Amino acid sequence: MLNKEYINFLALLLFKYRAKHFWILFISSLLVAILSSFLFVSSSIKKDVDLTLSSQSDFIVQKYRAGKVEDTPLEWVDEFNEINGVESATPRVYGMHFYEPSESYFMIVGIDFFDKSTLKSLQKVFDNLDVADFLSKDNMIIGSGVQELFDYYEYKGNYNFRPPDRSIKKVFIYDEFPKQTQIITNDMVVMDIHLAREILGLSENQVTDIAIEVANPLELQTVKTKLVVSHFNMRIISKEDISKLYENLFNYKGGVFLALYILSLITFLLILYQRYTTVIYSDAKEIAILRMTGFKISDVIYLKLAENFIIAVSSYMLGVIMAYIYVYIFNAPLIKEIFLGFNNLKNSVVFAPTIDVSMLVLIFLIFVIPFMLVVLVPVWRIAISESYEVMR
Amino acid sequence: MIKLQNVCKNFGKTTVLDDISLEIVQGTCSVLSGVSGSGKSTLLSILGAIMKPSSGLVEVDGLNIVSLNDFYLSKYRGDSIGFVTQAFHLFDELDVRDNVVVPLLLSDFSQKEIQQKVDTAMGIASIEHKAQSKVTTLSGGEKQRCMIARALVNNPKIILCDEPTANLDKENSLKFIQIIKELKESGKTIMIATHDPLISELEWIDNIINITEGKIE
Repeated sequence: MLNKEYINFLALLLFKYRAKHFWILFISSLLVAILSSFLFVSSSIKKDVDLTLSSQSDFIVQKYRAGKVEDTPLEWVDEFNEINGVESATPRVYGMHFYEPSESYFMIVGIDFFDKSTLKSLQKVFDNLDVADFLSKDNMIIGSGVQELFDYYEYKGNYNFRPPDRSIKKVFIYDEFPKQTQIITNDMVVMDIHLAREILGLSENQVTDIAIEVANPLELQTVKTKLVVSHFNMRIISKEDISKLYENLFNYKGGVFLALYILSLITFLLILYQRYTTVIYSDAKEIAILRMTGFKISDVIYLKLAENFIIAVSSYMLGVIMAYIYVYIFNAPLIKEIFLGFNNLKNSVVFAPTIDVSMLVLIFLIFVIPFMLVVLVPVWRIAISESYEVMR
Repeated sequence: MIKLQNVCKNFGKTTVLDDISLEIVQGTCSVLSGVSGSGKSTLLSILGAIMKPSSGLVEVDGLNIVSLNDFYLSKYRGDSIGFVTQAFHLFDELDVRDNVVVPLLLSDFSQKEIQQKVDTAMGIASIEHKAQSKVTTLSGGEKQRCMIARALVNNPKIILCDEPTANLDKENSLKFIQIIKELKESGKTIMIATHDPLISELEWIDNIINITEGKIE
């Protein structure tokens, strides 16, 4: 059993030799903070994407010709509504609106607000959407990126679109998409399908794609099969496909990041190993004194294990706290840009705190175990050697 | 009783100790003398079980320490041996008291017993007044006495001193000699490797063992 003196001695070793431990603690904490930040960000993004996609239709059907998307025939809507298992098939129009002052694009999405399933999906994101009020005039719901641009250029409550017929269409800002959906809705402008057609210069018969809802999730595959055989010149995009698309995109970026991280972790561990292998005289002397005064090899290992475990766990906790502050309070500058990029509108997504215990355990295992190994192997090698040379 | 029989120690092709046989009676003080590199420190290291001989037998109170595994060797070092070395092997950033307590860290003694033992050892070594002083602030003589206190804290039977006065001035050397004399009188077996005439010419030394090129003359 450990006596109080042992605990006191351990604390003294840590405190009195703090200069020796400081840099290891500092670099370790930094590495844990980087890894944790990356995992916190990817976890938050995944949560946001899942939330946003939960309001998406089960399938999106687009017409293709020679590998290019073209307008989908309106009569397909009735045809798909006839398929058993399809709850609703709703026409959608969308297109890009070029916003000259910032040289960026908004994505205008026109939806049929009288379609129940579309409305239901939208209400997953907007709890209290009053459709009658929304349709009482030309309104739109906009993403946070669009709102920021409007604020910057001082559009107060409305924006004048310029349809291709050179007219001016004033559309009022009804609401903004929730921050949690920003990953996907950042540059989005949602409005009534007729208004969207007008602004995009599409005729009443033109639809960009058709959104399909399936009542029973177990019938998704069956319905997809029926859709596939109905026409050969179309593409069916499932909610799962979109989810995978985002997952692949973020995983790819995350993978590059993780590779760089592992490289830096290995470099650090090699330096640490080198430090203990080409043992600094004071370390060897410490171990020799302990051996000389009756410590067994295992006692030396336990003492060093305890000493370095405290350093490793402190680094881990410090790193995780730093990452939490960096991601959830400062909103992960730099890393956010690596994940989200600046393709169109700047995404000012706010990461919602998402703490996954398995993720914390993963960070612990990735960091603490290699750390302990690279420190303890050289210590063990010194401890088994004869203390004689050091004692001279 | 310490008994060495045909002890040899080789480092590669170099023979440092060559067929050493001797017996040391308990409670005596022996001086190992010889020039630098003659093998004095190697012999002490073997006796202290921080080095294994290449061949031969080392018996302490009938126990052959050469054949012991790490568990029993460590126990032997912790219980029976106290080291005082030429270089001051101490935890420099800790104070005297925390250095002296090191051999008791793994013991089952109560806090009170540990404190008593530490106080006693520091008292014998005349370093109790510096108990709270950091090692780096001590003089050479004080560091030496700190090592003596640490060597005594477990009340070992054998004290091994390797060139203990090499880094001390005459005044501190005399203080050291006085402490060693008192330890001898208390029944400790003491072995001192030195070529300091101050020690080897003391009249109360029981044995002077001359080692030349690894052999006892």
